Amino acid sequence: MPILTLKFKDSAIGEYQLQKGLSLTIGRRTNNDVVIENLAVSGHHAKIDSVGDEFVLIDLQSKNGSFVNEKIVNTHWLTDGDIINIGKHSLTFKYADGEQIPDADSDKIEKTMIMDTSQYRSMMKKSQPNIPESVIKNGEISSECGLAFLAGGHGKIDLSNRITKIGKHPESDVVIKGMWVGQTAAAISKRPDGFYISYVGGLSKPKINDKAIKHSVILNDLDVIDIGPAKLQFHDLSHSKTKILRIDKDTGRPAPEAL
Amino acid sequence: MIAIESAGITHVGKKRKGNEDALFLDDALGLYVVADGMGGHLAGEIASQLVVKTISQHILQAKNNGASGKNIVADNTLSHAANQLLSGIQLSNKVVHEASLDNDSFRGMGSTVSAVYFTDGTFIVANVGDSPIYLIRDGKIKLISVLHTVLAEQAAIDPANAEKLGMEFRHVLTRAMGTESSVKADIYEIQCFKDDILVISSDGLSDKASPDEILTLVNQNGLDTACRKLVELANDRGGDDNVTTIVLKIKKLKNARINLSRIKAITGRYFARLFSSAKT
Repeated sequence: MPILTLKFKDSAIGEYQLQKGLSLTIGRRTNNDVVIENLAVSGHHAKIDSVGDEFVLIDLQSKNGSFVNEKIVNTHWLTDGDIINIGKHSLTFKYADGEQIPDADSDKIEKTMIMDTSQYRSMMKKSQPNIPESVIKNGEISSECGLAFLAGGHGKIDLSNRITKIGKHPESDVVIKGMWVGQTAAAISKRPDGFYISYVGGLSKPKINDKAIKHSVILNDLDVIDIGPAKLQFHDLSHSKTKILRIDKDTGRPAPEAL
Repeated sequence: MIAIESAGITHVGKKRKGNEDALFLDDALGLYVVADGMGGHLAGEIASQLVVKTISQHILQAKNNGASGKNIVADNTLSHAANQLLSGIQLSNKVVHEASLDNDSFRGMGSTVSAVYFTDGTFIVANVGDSPIYLIRDGKIKLISVLHTVLAEQAAIDPANAEKLGMEFRHVLTRAMGTESSVKADIYEIQCFKDDILVISSDGLSDKASPDEILTLVNQNGLDTACRKLVELANDRGGDDNVTTIVLKIKKLKNARINLSRIKAITGRYFARLFSSAKT
């Protein structure tokens, strides 16, 4: 059976034998199996359970967390040579020389499971009641992003479509007139991480903040898009609280609303 | 007109007995699908194959019927082609779900799906579950599908809490094909450029290889070799799961509006007129 070696700054200060069928608790209070007297350690910090031939470390919602091999863990199946860090102390999990190490892969091949979705949602809601439902549905199109004409047109365009086409063609979502503007000059598509603008065709290449786009770039809040005679500004209200509605006449740029 | 070159491969891996992954690729149709099935006995294999078969047949029919084909889904924020793909996904979800209800040994089976469908000038990316789709453009690799796992969804809400979740949550899906009577896929439509490369794979690959490693292997090799080397890499690192990958590349992208012949024709006409008016 494996042995836990308790160390503080490279010097071993204790050894504990793990046994099949027995749990071992780690914490600051004296009723633990492994007592670590340090204020960074919670009263009952973590425990190690014996499951089958193996051992699993479980953090007992400790204040400062339990780490295995420098990664924070909630639960962790211990393997030979793992180093558990609790506060400034470390515990090395090691099997005795020549001892047969259980084959972790034998019946525990990581299998994909499907969470019962409705059960999961209600669980999530209960554990984190402050999160609005909409946040969980990622990938949903938010109508909070849009374009506003600064020049060469009027009004605002909601980016509610997955793909928004801008160009001379009358069926474009945003029609822009101009000698060198392509039938479809640019397209704005929604992707998991935001909105991207792509150059599609035409002699006048779209520019973002005065920089011509080669293929596609992600749009950030307040980016200015130039296509031929038109100037559009991208608004992303989901990430910023600034609502830009007024254009400063001197600079031609939007002025932030006075609070 | 888009010319696409593609390669795809699926391998059982080193630990599993059966292959629960399925794939479909057709350059002429412009459709590429990877499905990763789950469920005991043979159910996982059945689920993923049903998904792939139903979607590809649906798209083939829709394409043959032209624009007149009716879609089950009609989301007006989506293009016609995107609605076609979404309908295919919805339909295959229904097929798997009904099969799982009809047969006791199939109960609870499910599958992921990740599909890419090309139209003129764009491609549509749709997925349910955790099979990733990567886009390689301008030398960078980006995940363009949404991972429907507890871990990924937690990370979006509360990164600190997600870090505390153990690795066992990595494979817990929040959505899958066939587990409920309807499913919601994440879908995006992206402008396409020459030399774009897309990699669609099952988690058997993405668990073992980082996006940057995939990028390097795909950049250094032809499509067939890249697929083979990606599978070898996953197997060298344990091969715990089935490994499937499709790598495809945009070879040619004809923009009908500007091309050399058209410019020649316009300038030719201009000079002809100049010449003739000079004569009179």
